[in-house]
Amino acid sequence: MPDPVDPRRVSELPLDELVACHECDLLMRKPHLALGEKAQCPRCGYELYAHRYKVVERSLALVIAALLLYVPANFLPIMQLNLLGQASQDTVWSGVLGLFNTGMQGIAVVVFLCSMGIPLLKLLCQLAVLLSIRWNIGRSYGLLIYRIYHHLRDWGMLEVYLMGVLVAIVKLADLAELNLGLGLVCFVSLLLVQVWLEVVMSPHQIWQALSGEDIHAGD
Amino acid sequence: MRAIDAGILICGECHELNRQDPETDEQTCTRCGALVHARRPNSLMRTWALLLTSAILYIPANLLPIMTVNSLGQGSPSTIMAGVIELVQHGMIPIAAVVFIASILVPTFKLVGIALLLFSVQRHQPLSARQRIIMYRFIEFIGRWSMLDIFVIAILVAVVNFGRIASIEANLGAVAFASVVVITMLAAVTFDPRLIWDNTESDDDHE
Repeated sequence: MPDPVDPRRVSELPLDELVACHECDLLMRKPHLALGEKAQCPRCGYELYAHRYKVVERSLALVIAALLLYVPANFLPIMQLNLLGQASQDTVWSGVLGLFNTGMQGIAVVVFLCSMGIPLLKLLCQLAVLLSIRWNIGRSYGLLIYRIYHHLRDWGMLEVYLMGVLVAIVKLADLAELNLGLGLVCFVSLLLVQVWLEVVMSPHQIWQALSGEDIHAGD
Repeated sequence: MRAIDAGILICGECHELNRQDPETDEQTCTRCGALVHARRPNSLMRTWALLLTSAILYIPANLLPIMTVNSLGQGSPSTIMAGVIELVQHGMIPIAAVVFIASILVPTFKLVGIALLLFSVQRHQPLSARQRIIMYRFIEFIGRWSMLDIFVIAILVAVVNFGRIASIEANLGAVAFASVVVITMLAAVTFDPRLIWDNTESDDDHE
């Protein structure tokens, strides 16, 4: 745990020896972390930052894996329904189209953004940031893109969509014959890779590497 | 001690520390270039505004049908609650519970919870800072799960598509419901959690 700073001497300390909690504004002396450790705010418990091993390389591998899974996850059928000899398939994309074509354009846009648009944008932002660090080019754009990424973070809702798929399966299972498709497998994998990526890609190290304070922060 | 008391501002985006510059109103972060504020400007007012908007939309979201099931020429519209009841009648209690929690409990809890947070921050009562931060984290974490019903509708509309035999279409209630979810999420983003710890001198000792 980091030590809260003695108020009398705080103005004399240089900024890079301090850290403040983003959620409760408590000012502390910055602890030095070994690999694999993380610092939490002693007052509110917020994770201040973590120090992880080979962040850039591991994240790059995961981003590329996620991007490869993205297309099959969204365009291969998640399930197929057979009713009285007719079959219909569901993909993430066809759900968006279905809403759009029945006059619910507003909801179609929201569903598109939360389940396809923003998750893709997030991955592309992460890829751009990681490449910018790795190849040491365009860091000022990297900073901007990483800021955009942080604004998008909460709005990608793959895990909620997966829960929606489960609810729909249960609702339909009694009514008609239902087959699950390859798209579902890809979708679950995409979700897992993306969650893993968010754990590995420790923001503090990425910011440091991007800003040039410590170019090897992500190694 | 709070960073604001030491004249230090935290960047809201990259969490870099910046010394407060008394001469300018619009200070930007030295690392990422975002605007830095000691506290998000007008956080409480904006959150109140978003909260009221979503509270108004909450009424049509629950009263209007969210989708209509057309089967052999007959259409039966259903509201959120009707969908839950139907699941219970089919004996699918666990899924009914999930839908009930995501679509009814969570939005209601969020509206009440954000109102309580705002009220307690403004009046310095009736919750302790620790209770408030738990409430804030819970609201922030759970908000997205209310989109569940919207996604279910999207999937059902796509898969139950057999022309006259059976089809499903979305209705206006779903629009109102999606708006409630998005606007309450925005309200959680607008609320500045650092306000929770201001004015709580007794909790400031962080034992």
